[in-house]
Amino acid sequence: MTLLALNNVEVVYDRVFLAVKGVSIDVPEGGLVALLGANGAGKSTTLKAVSGLLKPERGMVSRGDIQFGGQSIGAIEPAERVRRGIVHVLEGRRVFEHLTPTENLLAATSMHRDRAKVARLIERTFDWFPSLAARKASKAGYLSGGEQQMLAIGRALMTEPKLILLDEPSLGLSPRLVEEIFGIIKRINHEAGVAVLLVEQNAIAALSIAKTAYLLENGRIVMSGPADVVADNPDVKNAYLGGDHAVDYLAVKHYRMRKRWLS
Amino acid sequence: MDFFLLGELAINGALVGLMYALVAAGITLIYKTSGLANLAQGAIAMMGAYLTWAVASGLGAPMAAAIVLALVMMFVVGLLIERLALRRMAGQPVIMAIMLTLGLEIMLRGLLPGVFGSAVKRLDVGIPQAPVFAGEFLINRATLYGGIISAVVIIISMLIFNSRFGVFMRAVSDDQTASWSVGIRVERAIAVAWGLAAVTATVAGILWGSNQGVDWSLSLLLIKALAIAILGGLDSIPGVLVAGLIVGVAESLATGIFDPIVGGGTRDVVASVIILLTLLIKPHGLFGREHIERV
Repeated sequence: MTLLALNNVEVVYDRVFLAVKGVSIDVPEGGLVALLGANGAGKSTTLKAVSGLLKPERGMVSRGDIQFGGQSIGAIEPAERVRRGIVHVLEGRRVFEHLTPTENLLAATSMHRDRAKVARLIERTFDWFPSLAARKASKAGYLSGGEQQMLAIGRALMTEPKLILLDEPSLGLSPRLVEEIFGIIKRINHEAGVAVLLVEQNAIAALSIAKTAYLLENGRIVMSGPADVVADNPDVKNAYLGGDHAVDYLAVKHYRMRKRWLS
Repeated sequence: MDFFLLGELAINGALVGLMYALVAAGITLIYKTSGLANLAQGAIAMMGAYLTWAVASGLGAPMAAAIVLALVMMFVVGLLIERLALRRMAGQPVIMAIMLTLGLEIMLRGLLPGVFGSAVKRLDVGIPQAPVFAGEFLINRATLYGGIISAVVIIISMLIFNSRFGVFMRAVSDDQTASWSVGIRVERAIAVAWGLAAVTATVAGILWGSNQGVDWSLSLLLIKALAIAILGGLDSIPGVLVAGLIVGVAESLATGIFDPIVGGGTRDVVASVIILLTLLIKPHGLFGREHIERV
């Protein structure tokens, strides 16, 4: 059953710059979908089109349709989309720096009227992330990068989402922390049944947990399929997974080669 | 100079300072949610006073009813300013929104005396004229009541910021996009901040209007309020309270000490000097939020 369906979505910034050129993505209920691509391919823009956060950056969906749970959500305000079950964890963590972790979590509960439930959700989040509980009284701006990422994910879960959009959760984290964060993402997907649309530069880590993957280049989907099939593709291996054989430094000018599929 | 005169000046100055701080609290309220300095706060205070006068003398309503009605109307005015003017500024540089508020100040300063007549209006809220004696000190009753009411309103707005809704407002001031991403209705939070700021301004406008009469000069409260907001750190309500006391006492003492020497007029210099000194020595003010930088 499809939860989120993007149909030929096109995004322009400032009414002139075409950043996403006809992207179609399906996220099934409880699915874990990876969206891969190089810098500037349009991955973050695609996520913002889904969560409705293009407006502050003067972007808009100029063509195509975004459906969530069978309903078109193109005209709905971002806050309302969160109430329907879409939550976006922004690139660079973006915790509320001057608020404590507890207040950060509280800030994401504007849709819950029941205070007992809010307290329960906060408790659950601290259970999931014990390292946050230890620092719940200090300002979030002073947490470590890994803790901030956990806080950003935990804050998103406070809204009780059906779909969580994760933008570069591994950004700027050490390999061990990346492993921990990806373990958490897997757990959210398996145990809480939340569908995940994951944008990553760290293709190896993303493909290791995703069920399906899409490859975005220059604002277009150039490849899609089950994660293991995409991971086995020789072009993907060369361009995103660091190659499956030793690099021949005599042919070093090919080293930076990128496949250009459609343009 | 004898001690009693200085003490009296300081006490009355502190009370007047609290009344200034009430205007500054509105500036802080808006700065804390939307990160923009509202330069129309003085004119909004003036508008509140004009509306109260218009309801009381125009419709002949009793003063208490007129005040309540004016507060409600000004809350709506605050919401409307956000809805009609500032929401269009989303995604634009913040300086454009600040210029917009300055334009609003200038427009109201011309428009309201134009509509209601420029003669000074008498606004009698029923505070007796007779001064209060506290021991040996002589305290102006109007400023005593005004100072107490101001302090109460400021403390209420402090409590609002520590409530659940206050957490949303503070989140919005930290990061608007992140606030949208977790479902906070950013526009609504900012609109409510404008509404509350207009209400605090109206209370201040009524207090000052009952003191000195209602006319365009009420909008000059902006200068004092800016001095207090900047000294307090722009985004701290306790800072407003402390800075209000400092500015009020400094003004009152300067008037008492220097006016006989230079022949008057020092009162209005104090606020400007405080703005200047704060920006030179401690640009984040006394209680301004530190800029968090991780290393």
